[in-house]
Amino acid sequence: MAELLIRNAFVIDPLSGIRGEIKDIAIRDGKIVEDTGANAEVIDAQGCLTLPGGIDSHSHVCGTKVNFGRYMSPEDMRAGRTSRKGVMHVTSGYSVPTTFGNSYRYSTMGYTTVLEGAMAPLEARHTHEEFTATPHQDMLANTLFDGNWSVMEAVRDKDVKRAAAVVAWTLAAVKGFAIKLTNPGGTEAWGFGKDVHSIHDTVPHFGVTPAEIIDTMIRANEILNLPHSVHLHCNNLGVPGNYQTTLETIERVPDLHARRQTLYLTHAQFHSYGGSTWKDISSKSEDIARMVNARPQVAIDMGQVMFGRTTTMTADGPMEFKLYMLHQNKWSNHDVELETGSGIIPVFYSRKSLVNCVMWAIGLELALLTRDPWQCMLSTDNPNGAPFIKYPEIIALLMSRRFRDRESELLEPRTGHYVPLFAIDRELDWYEIAVMTRAAQAKALGITSIGKGHLSPGAEADIAIYPLKPQEIDPSAEYKQVMAGFGKTRYTIKRGRVVSRDGEVVVEGANSTIWTKARIPPELDLSSDPEFVKKFEQYYTVRMSNYPVQDVYLPRGVCIGTEASL
Amino acid sequence: MRVILETKPRKKPKIPIEAEAIIPQNFLLKNDIRVYEGNKERTLDEIFYVTTEGPAVSADQVEIVLSGETGVIKRVGEYMNAGRIVIEGDIGMHCGNFMSAGEIIIRGNADAWLGREMRGGVIRCEGNADHYCGAGYRGEKRGMRGGTIEVLGNAGDFTAEYLSGGEVRIMGDCGDLPGVEMRGGTLIIGGDCHRPCGNMTGGTCMVFGTARALLPTFVNAGSEEREFCGQRVEMNVFRGDVANRGKGTLFVRKK
Repeated sequence: MAELLIRNAFVIDPLSGIRGEIKDIAIRDGKIVEDTGANAEVIDAQGCLTLPGGIDSHSHVCGTKVNFGRYMSPEDMRAGRTSRKGVMHVTSGYSVPTTFGNSYRYSTMGYTTVLEGAMAPLEARHTHEEFTATPHQDMLANTLFDGNWSVMEAVRDKDVKRAAAVVAWTLAAVKGFAIKLTNPGGTEAWGFGKDVHSIHDTVPHFGVTPAEIIDTMIRANEILNLPHSVHLHCNNLGVPGNYQTTLETIERVPDLHARRQTLYLTHAQFHSYGGSTWKDISSKSEDIARMVNARPQVAIDMGQVMFGRTTTMTADGPMEFKLYMLHQNKWSNHDVELETGSGIIPVFYSRKSLVNCVMWAIGLELALLTRDPWQCMLSTDNPNGAPFIKYPEIIALLMSRRFRDRESELLEPRTGHYVPLFAIDRELDWYEIAVMTRAAQAKALGITSIGKGHLSPGAEADIAIYPLKPQEIDPSAEYKQVMAGFGKTRYTIKRGRVVSRDGEVVVEGANSTIWTKARIPPELDLSSDPEFVKKFEQYYTVRMSNYPVQDVYLPRGVCIGTEASL
Repeated sequence: MRVILETKPRKKPKIPIEAEAIIPQNFLLKNDIRVYEGNKERTLDEIFYVTTEGPAVSADQVEIVLSGETGVIKRVGEYMNAGRIVIEGDIGMHCGNFMSAGEIIIRGNADAWLGREMRGGVIRCEGNADHYCGAGYRGEKRGMRGGTIEVLGNAGDFTAEYLSGGEVRIMGDCGDLPGVEMRGGTLIIGGDCHRPCGNMTGGTCMVFGTARALLPTFVNAGSEEREFCGQRVEMNVFRGDVANRGKGTLFVRKK
């Protein structure tokens, strides 16, 4: 029995209602317990900030598209090299690091669970293989359904049960976690050389609209009782004036779930632009935040942009093509048969660019204007807005008005005319930051019941101890210390074991992959549906029997089983 | 200063040596120079018999001579910015990566990626060069940007891919797709080649042998005389690659 006792920890655990008190935490066999025996190993936290392990609810770290980002950017791979040291593997890369690079850097920041934002079902094997090589974080995979032919046919036939059956079969086959819709309908239209410009445009061939896809998938998701809601990347990403599409989308969302949101709207920053061209782009964060405040059934994540070099990658193929036309640099476009597509380009976000400055401000405004921190999570849509190693800087910006003001002096001088950021006084406190970086994510993903995101007895012992003493420092003035503190934990504990100490990884690690399986009535099981089987054999280049990901790809799979209401 | 590095006999002579540290500026500072043999870090004298002659006050005065089983040594001269390296035999992959000044002379053959993304200086290879001579790495948009590479023998496929400056001169034949994606600079091929200059957007390529399977996306723009090895040669002039709205020039010998 491995026992560990953390003494004198300044604990903030929002899901258990602990808002900051000095406590001891007892751990046995990877779980939090009431108390330990006399032989337990003891860590003295000395009053340092102790939080449940961080959870990133939207990040691109594994899979074919990330890998493409790696090999199309040799300059990025040269940028962040570390050599082998103890149990640490060699790592390289800055915005799209190697899997071990991602894992170590997340671990150093106290993150213990990461959700891969977009996994193409056909390419799930590769994603799961990379999950296994990300040893310090438990992984989850959002599975793309935005251009799935079977889903779109079900939507066309207005058959929610059929859509639910497709989702259930696919998630179980590819060991995915939740439904991700990326520019629903748009990526499929891109296959025909087109795009959709509002949620009421029709997708060629299928004759369905994004609005219908979103509505159907939200209902299918709730029929299957999946832990997470639909995870939506709205249409018209990055288009000036797109905030109207976003508002229209949010307005349609019904409130169907008591404990969590019904729609997770990811990287909201990229969907909150006013204006009509790049020249008059402005921030509409106030409109979006007002709408989110009024609708508890919606949760968003920031999708913050930070200045510097990065790589954008998304299943939203047409959007990446537009970016390519703007930058004229490298571009990769990818089609996944019958399912989705993707695009990748490297970008540089510059303080000299008004557009980039407006984007930077919008992300922060969304976090500051959303009243309830449970509804707005911290993310950069890694690596689209910035690599996740910028999180500490974002936390410091949210906690310190002074830091924001100092940054504003470096921005393009006209920025102030287009954004409301500099009129916002709000400074987030430690509790709100704890919510935005772990508790809200655990709640939104619906993984609190398997012991994620909180520290009550029975929970997984995933803990981050930061070298920050909330009782002594004033984050508003000492933002540099906050930044450094969140950048490097004193201890990161994963499943009851110290995995990283003062920025140095100390164990090899072994993660688990969390996936969902919804039990549906046998008559809706697609593996014995003659029409589905025939279509599969006819159109896919793989056989249906070879399509599912075998258990061997998930050495430590954790299955969340649900009972569908069908 | 002259540094002579002669390889020692090794138990497993096929294990490659990663020697990006072998550049003149490092020897001037008398750093503790280390190379990798496979995944094991080695000091220089574990791999080589090292002889140093004479003094040097600047990197320009440093000459490194490599001899012995040098064909497995990779990345010699990476980021070199002064001085001279002479290789008495063959050299492994990635010789002269990113070099910005100085001179590398190879008496034998060079493996792939000779002078990849080099910025300046001179590389002279007296044997053959393998694929991707003077090219950019996979995923890179610009290959060699300056300096000169001269190969007296033949070169492999994708010679001078993404060339954007400087001059690559191959006296013998080239393989498939030399000068593909060229954006600037000059590529001179003394012998034959196959499908030259696909997707070129700028720069000049001259083929003094036969260009087989010339791409149909080049427009003939008359003929001109050019000099090669002291002889006047009548050349066809092509502009292209028009598929890419390219403004490159391709000269091909008339007969």
